[in-house]
Amino acid sequence: MNALRRLASIGLVAAALAASAPAVAQPAVAPVPSECATPGGDGAAAITFPHLGRAVTTRQKIVVLAIGSSVVGKTGMGGDYYQLVERFLESTFRGLDVVLVQRGISGELARDGADRIRLEAARSSPDVVFWQVGTADAMAGIDPAETREIVRSTIRWLHDHQIDVVLIGLHYTPRLSGDPEYQAMRAAIAEVARSEGVLRIRRYEVGETLDRLRRPPNEAATSVDLGDIGNTCMAEHLARALATGLFARRRPGDLDKPPPSAR
Amino acid sequence: MPRSANAVDFWRGFALVEIFVNHIPGNVWEALTHKTLSQSDSAELFVFLAGWSLKHVVGPPEDPRPTARLILRLFLRAGKLYAAHMVIVMAAIALLAIGSRVLDNPLMLEWFNASAVFTAPVEAHIGLVLLTYQLGYFDILPLYVVLLFASPFIALLHRHRPALLLPISAAIWFAALVGEITFATWPTEGEWFFDPLCWQFDFVLGFLFARSTGPGGLVRRHLAAIRWVALPIVLFAGWARWAGWEIDPTAAPEPHLLFVNDKSFLTPTRIGHFLLLAALASALWEPLARHLPVAARALSLLGRNSLLVFCIGSLLSLAAQILRFAMRGGMVFDTLVVVCGLGILFAAAAVADWWERPE
Repeated sequence: MNALRRLASIGLVAAALAASAPAVAQPAVAPVPSECATPGGDGAAAITFPHLGRAVTTRQKIVVLAIGSSVVGKTGMGGDYYQLVERFLESTFRGLDVVLVQRGISGELARDGADRIRLEAARSSPDVVFWQVGTADAMAGIDPAETREIVRSTIRWLHDHQIDVVLIGLHYTPRLSGDPEYQAMRAAIAEVARSEGVLRIRRYEVGETLDRLRRPPNEAATSVDLGDIGNTCMAEHLARALATGLFARRRPGDLDKPPPSAR
Repeated sequence: MPRSANAVDFWRGFALVEIFVNHIPGNVWEALTHKTLSQSDSAELFVFLAGWSLKHVVGPPEDPRPTARLILRLFLRAGKLYAAHMVIVMAAIALLAIGSRVLDNPLMLEWFNASAVFTAPVEAHIGLVLLTYQLGYFDILPLYVVLLFASPFIALLHRHRPALLLPISAAIWFAALVGEITFATWPTEGEWFFDPLCWQFDFVLGFLFARSTGPGGLVRRHLAAIRWVALPIVLFAGWARWAGWEIDPTAAPEPHLLFVNDKSFLTPTRIGHFLLLAALASALWEPLARHLPVAARALSLLGRNSLLVFCIGSLLSLAAQILRFAMRGGMVFDTLVVVCGLGILFAAAAVADWWERPE
């Protein structure tokens, strides 16, 4: 039964990917599969990606740096959600080359991730950073205020260096829904995303909704099925938020013009 | 009969204690390890001393170990280490699985990069055997295994062309830095946390500096002068670390890795700082042994049983992380965990020593 549900959900995502119209001028963003219907991004409609947008306009190529937990590539059906994002964007925007640089290290605290982001910014010259942050800090009992300030200063550093950033929020697991420290970390990440005006993918809320909709009462919380579907939905929300921010909501401005060196 | 306390075992024991404490991230004692005021940490020391120990396997210049025996001994040593790594990784996976079940929290698995064992078991097990798949905080032994498998070539090159070892090692390190060449992980996407192509340089330096001829002899002859040069640099580096001052990697000239501090690639900042710090710290052994003989003997006890202590310490630090999460401990809990963990490590080392004594 679980396998059937998973296949059905993957099918929905595949259909969504296939249905997306490949056009740069007016991209048709595929509908979110019904199981991923929970709003996935914090204030996604209001957030733009100026640096990413400029890269799309001038180079037809974007470099995405993924920092946070490691993900399994090309094996699990829904394991590598970054590759789903890559495929989604490439199929949505014709001719766009999405270069995905994965530098995830599981268990890495925000303070170490922040150091590595700076180095990887130099190594890979990304246009956008997907930063999966908060879970490891919460598990290790780091003070949420400390993590929040590290994330804030890193976001500002990235913006100063003309790199957009997307925060991917904490994981969901039913056991931690009442854990005050975990929830405090979740609130800290949400707050910094809001105050810095960056997109936060609401991984926790997506997982929570999926869990409520899908998990039979007696099924163990350790089911990998939930994680797989959650990753698929995450990819869906992330890709849609980027597409929306890039084209549907972006107002024309200086950043639409190519930089002086490209003229 | 266990060997008596000495500087190499003492510093190896020191590194083991720090690795144990640092592998419980977020605990209050972490701030007291030397990385807080340093551009390098105990990993450089541990690998450097591994290279230093190679000298004892190779044998003295006047009585070198026969080549066939040397090669066999080194490969057997690498195999032993590989087996030890496999055992502790399997134990760690079981520990995480138990933690996940008992605490009803699947995030335990993802936290330490173990989820692929359960979501992609076929690929994960191949990766574990090939060392391309590494659990979080279980990533230094794969480096050590690679270095030990390379050690016969290092030893033979040094035996037949001693002048070539340092330039070849430095050239590989430099090329890896400039080209950003490293080992990929699989099935998880990413890179090895410790790039063997870079870290072999630390290992080779340890081997060369252990000897009284060649670069080791040169350093010994000028050690006093080196320490005078090292002192202000190490003090400045400590201040920079404390103040959070560092070079913006994007502002550094190309190739960036030559000018920034990065642990994975063992950048020049890190290895240079470590060597200067080692030159200074090497002066401490004699006064420590004289005035604090108990501490000198205790850390030497850990150091001469380093593989056992490292393996047990790795599992204990993992258990401590799970316990910290489960108990949400503060300073008292952290202190209890660190004291108990170190107590177990010393007890294990003492038992190993006792086992080695003649009846």
